[in-house]
Amino acid sequence: MNMMQDAKAAAMENALKISARGVDVFYGDTHAIKGVDVEIADKMVTAFIGPSGCGKSTFLRCLNRMNDTIDICRVTGQIQLDGEDIYEARVDPVQLRAKVGMVFQKPNPFPKSIYDNVAYGPRIHGLARDKAELDGIVEKSLRRAALWEEAKDRLNEPGTGLSGGQQQRLCIARAIATGPEVLLMDEPCSALDPIATAQVEQLIDELSSRFCVVIVTHSMAQASRVSQKTAFFHLGELVEFDDTDRIFTNPSDQRTESYITGRIG
Amino acid sequence: MENQSHILRAFDRDLESIQAKIMKMGGLVEAAIAQAATALETQDADLAQAVRAGDKAIDALEHQVNEDAARILALRQPIAGDLRTVLTVFHLSGSLERMGDYAKNIAKRTGVLMAMAPINGSAKSLRRMARQVELMLKDALDAYIQRDADLAADVRARDLEVDQMYSALFREYLTFMMEDPRNITACMHLHFIAKNIERMGDHVTTIAEEVIYLVDGAYPDDDREKGDQTTQGGANGG
Repeated sequence: MNMMQDAKAAAMENALKISARGVDVFYGDTHAIKGVDVEIADKMVTAFIGPSGCGKSTFLRCLNRMNDTIDICRVTGQIQLDGEDIYEARVDPVQLRAKVGMVFQKPNPFPKSIYDNVAYGPRIHGLARDKAELDGIVEKSLRRAALWEEAKDRLNEPGTGLSGGQQQRLCIARAIATGPEVLLMDEPCSALDPIATAQVEQLIDELSSRFCVVIVTHSMAQASRVSQKTAFFHLGELVEFDDTDRIFTNPSDQRTESYITGRIG
Repeated sequence: MENQSHILRAFDRDLESIQAKIMKMGGLVEAAIAQAATALETQDADLAQAVRAGDKAIDALEHQVNEDAARILALRQPIAGDLRTVLTVFHLSGSLERMGDYAKNIAKRTGVLMAMAPINGSAKSLRRMARQVELMLKDALDAYIQRDADLAADVRARDLEVDQMYSALFREYLTFMMEDPRNITACMHLHFIAKNIERMGDHVTTIAEEVIYLVDGAYPDDDREKGDQTTQGGANGG
């Protein structure tokens, strides 16, 4: 697996997708993210780890401007997607989020049919000219989310009727239906059982050949299983960012070692 | 890292317990080396027999250590420094077990040698060589428990002296054998004993290298100077 990760890392070394420089985030008076610089490569999985409250989710939400929806939240510094500043005035956050999709901790399908859950994004963004094209997008998305075989005969049943693991894969299908380039995942497996978790991890691995995937996880084992790069956050700072196998075998920062080996929470 | 405990303290207890077993194994092996050399020098059949019998305890500890280490891997999923601690334990137990076997073999040959005419001064040189390895082992185990990579590097360098002693003995035995063929049987046994001690030195070197890996996260990559000249035609007497 390491050889595979190494090969993947080497091949993709130069394909920079997201670049953050000097990013600070404030919630009112609270300084939640402190001067984070990070470069995230395309077509691989980058994991953010760190104790609760370390800022990893906050930083993840900066990457598709989800923090815009919180009034007291202020983001400074620069975040570029493909060299373009995503916080520039002319950038439409809704368009940005179509390019940078997101999957949340708890599966949150819309109270609609499986089909409509997946078709929702393509419809509002006008990505399909007719029903046949929309059908095609729905099928392709469900296939990529490894849900097609289980869902193809019940596309008109409510998405909420699926099992937890299936619901999460439905949310992933919904997120990739708009043809995003980046997929942000905030603890996508923490509400799932081990089998559903393994299925989602397998899916993440497959998706990484097509997308830039950034995953926030509390599970160190999950970060080590699915990611090629790992960033360790602590108290709002990015402490260490390196190849995943390096972080989990011989990290350079004492705080990283203490956290991953279960010595500080 | 070592002075910071895990949030789950049972993990610390597991790691401490397994390292305590390694130290116990190390103590038994140190004693076995010293006793095997003494038995050879003083022609003490009882002591030699005790060394042979004592190897069972070392073997049993090796199995215990390996089972404990496997259990820690399965149940605690150690990573980073914790993982290196467990991986190192596997190597150390293996090396110590082999050293125990060499001590046992020396004790066996002691029994055979006692029935023969003594070779002048040979037991003393072997005793010195064994003493050197025993001290190296002691320091390697100290380096292990104190996570002292510098001391480990020092131990590693000292194996050169053991190799040189072995080369000298090799030449000496060769000379004795050429002088008088009746010496051949005894000298062959003595040579195997010297070789056993030289091998023990190699295992101590392995232990020292494991300590360096444990502390630094990487094995030393420089080539050590080798003092064993016997494979290069330099000790064939001609």
